[in-house]
Formats: sequence, C-alpha cells, structure tokens
Amino acid sequence: MPPRSRTSGATKAAPDARPQQSRLWLTYPAKLIKRPVLWELTQKFPVVTNIRQASITDKIGIVCLEFDGRRADIKAAIKWLEKLGVKVEPVEFNVIES
Amino acid sequence: MQKTESYMRALRCRECGREYPLTATHVCEFDFGPLEVVYDYDLIQRRLTRAALASRPQTMWRYRELLPVVDEPTVGLQVGFTPLIKADRLARRLGIRELWIKNDAVNYPSLSFKDRVVSVALSRSRELGFDTVACASTGNLANSVAANAASAGLRAYVFIPSDLEQGKILNSLIYGARVIGIRGHYDEVNRLCAEIAGKFGWAFVNVNMRPYYAEGSKSMAFEIVEQLGWQVPKHTVVCMASGSLLTKIRKGYEEFLKLGLAPETEHRIHGAQATGCSPISTAHKAGLDFFKPVKPDTIAKSLAIGTPADGFYALKAIKETGGAAEDVTDDEIREGMRLLAECEGIFAETAGGVTVGVAKKLIAAGVIPAEDSAVLCITGNGLKTLDAVTGCVGQPREIKPSLREFEALVANEETVTA
Repeated sequence: MPPRSRTSGATKAAPDARPQQSRLWLTYPAKLIKRPVLWELTQKFPVVTNIRQASITDKIGIVCLEFDGRRADIKAAIKWLEKLGVKVEPVEFNVIES
Repeated sequence: MQKTESYMRALRCRECGREYPLTATHVCEFDFGPLEVVYDYDLIQRRLTRAALASRPQTMWRYRELLPVVDEPTVGLQVGFTPLIKADRLARRLGIRELWIKNDAVNYPSLSFKDRVVSVALSRSRELGFDTVACASTGNLANSVAANAASAGLRAYVFIPSDLEQGKILNSLIYGARVIGIRGHYDEVNRLCAEIAGKFGWAFVNVNMRPYYAEGSKSMAFEIVEQLGWQVPKHTVVCMASGSLLTKIRKGYEEFLKLGLAPETEHRIHGAQATGCSPISTAHKAGLDFFKPVKPDTIAKSLAIGTPADGFYALKAIKETGGAAEDVTDDEIREGMRLLAECEGIFAETAGGVTVGVAKKLIAAGVIPAEDSAVLCITGNGLKTLDAVTGCVGQPREIKPSLREFEALVANEETVTA
C-alpha cells in the first residue's frame, strides 16, 4: 500500500479548532479576589489552566498562567474573563509600544 | 565581517535566576519571568578601559563589550553619542545649581532613543539568522524599526492599531515597511500581536528579541557618565512608559561602577510620568511595590502604557537608589516643552515635557536639592508630536507689506516688554 501523502489522510482542523497554548497575565480587581474565578472558568470552558506565578493582596490579584485548549475555547474563556472585569494580557504585557 | 569575542554569558530569568542559551527567547519556561542578558564582567574589565575608549568612534557602539552582540554590529552604526548639554538657562528657571540635558531628540536616524534599542535588536537578529524583523508600535518604535531595517536591507513588518493617526503611519511607510493595521480594542490587538510574534519565525524586536533590545538603552547611561567626565550623576530624571529605560539606565551606571570606569557615588534615579497614565508614579507615592493597571488619557502618547511590563522593576530601581517618582498634567507637560524650547532651543516631544515638568516639581519640593546637579533624559523629538502644542504657542502676527506698520509693531512690542 502506497504511503499516504501528508494531506490526503485526515481533514485539516479549522483554525479555531486547533489546539494551542496561551501564556497570559490576569489582573483581578479587588472585588473579584474572593471569587473562585479560575474554578468557574474551567467548569464553563474545556481549557486546562496551569498557574506559574501569582500575587494576591486585598487590593489586587495578579496571576500568570498557561491556557491549553482549542483556540475557540481559549478565546471564549478570555472574553468571559474580560466581561467579569479581569484584565487579560499576554505574558509580555504590552507588545504594542509607543 | 570580523569575528570578535562574545562578552555575553547567558540569558537569565529576572525572577528565578535560571539561565538559558543566547537564542531568540524572552521568558523563562518555568515561571514566565522576563529574561535578561548577563555578561562576563571579568573579561570586559580587561578590554573596556578609558584608554581603549578614547580611540573609538563617537557612537553608542564604542561600548560594544557591554552590548549584546557577538560580532561587530551591522545595523545602526551611527546611532548614539547624542549631545549632553549644560542647560544653564533652564537651571536658573527651575532653581537648581547645575542641570544637564541628554538630548536623544537628535538621535540618528529616527530622532528618538528607540534607535539605540532597535540597532541592537536588529544587529543581534542578523547574527541569529533572521531576515525579517517586526514590531507592534504606535510611534517611535515603528519609525525606528522601519528606518533601521531599510538601511540594513531587512524586511520589516510593523503592526499598528488601525485607528492610528495618518502622520504616524507615514513615518513608517516611507521606509518601505509592511504596515499592518489591526482593528479591535487595544487589548485584543495587543494579544494578537503577541500571538503573531509567537507563531511566525521573525525577529519581533520587543518580544522574542526583547532581552537584547532592552540592553540598548544602557548606552544612554554610558554616554552620560563619559560626557560628564567619568562621573555618575547624583540625580537622573527619566520618563517612564514600560519602565524599561529607567531600569537600564540604572544597570548602565552600575556596570560602569562595577568595571571601575567611574568612582562610586550616590546616584538617585527619578521616574517621570504623565498624570493621565501614571501607574508607576502612583504606586511609588503610595509606597506600594506593585502597580494597578490604568486606562491612559494623556497627550504624552509615547508614555501611554497602562500596564507597564517593567513597572515592578522600575519601582524597585527607584526605591533602591533613593529616587522619587512624580507625574504632571497635560498643561504641565506643555509648559515643560515650552521651557525646554525657550531656555535651551531644544524641541522635545511630549515625553520631554513630562521629564522637565517632573524635574521642576521635584526641585521645587526639595526632593532634588537646589545645590545639587541633575541630568534630564530627553527621549524624542518635538516634530513628532506637533498636535500636542498646536494652538498653545501663540500665533504669528500679520502686517501689510509696510515698513511703517512693522515699526509700529516693534515699538508696541518694546513698550509691552519694557
């Protein structure tokens, strides 16, 4: 049996269905610090969260984490976080400089 | 190209200290902390002496051992060694014994301090084999990447928010850069740029090349020390956007002290922000070691970063050097720009107005004592931010083509100023 070409086998996943990793900083306002936001997020969206750094005070919560999941699910999770009032930035913070 | 010795040792995580090879990477795989270049200072001490420097060309590359390239630099060979001006007239107006202006408003080729960081990033990018460079920027960085890439024959991609003013876009398009406008709110555009940087195998100067790029700012500190006759100034006032410039000015001073190129002296580094975007100065004044993100609203667009990536490290540097942080309103920024222009003939962009305005406040409050000496770092040219002062600097007076009318105007003016 001839070997299958790289593209003839499986159909290519749509961009939003491809798995990806995102490295993000989440900044929580004081009002959300007591709420288990990340637990809620993993109940709502099929994404894996992996915290790498965190600093929580009574004034602000800053969490650096990695999201693993389908691109569409990560985008939806970010949208949900922003709607709650969490600031979501890439691990580099401001990529857009002056 | 002549192969020379590398003085770099590794990239090191600023959080956990883990070391990485000298590749195009910028965050620690363990804690995502930023990476920074570390050097072999023993080797550098043997090579970088005042005598060796005396014979080198007057550009930022005279301090090559302390800049992150392995071979001789290939991009931006004329960058740096901008004038350090003794600003006596401005000193009198601000009420201080001695004042110096480090004037990167005339940096080559794109009239801002960004030429320092970009020439380092592009030289290193070439060494690492990249032929395409990129950045995401709303102003000075885009202009500098476009200009320096053009002169080096590198392909450049510049990402901008799609609603950016036409004037700022032209300043990059003219060099033949591929300028891509992205629609969406700021955070979306920012995240997409980070994704693009991660996905495409380009040298994104302020992302995967950031450890090298940021080191270019140290050259401003090296030049100040040398131009002051090998003295580290007691007070330096630096404007803050991401906070990176301030931390690198400190690193530059401390490297010269470590190498014995200048005598140990007290050196305080003060940070300047616009009140409309002052996360770092607000945190410092509140005695906090973290900042809260803000939504920028200021005429000082080149400092309008609401979540400064190096804010934490800038706060630390200010505190550890015994410096202060302060901020000024838009009106105070315009006044600072006018003061600098009227007293010293230097037209700085709005960020320069921030630096002068904050220096004025710190001197008036005695934080910078009147009997001391200070250096103000001016980072960009006023021709880039004409809108900020339009309508605030008066109007020309018109007369008919009549000598009598001109004489009357002069006589009237002399009466007014008498």
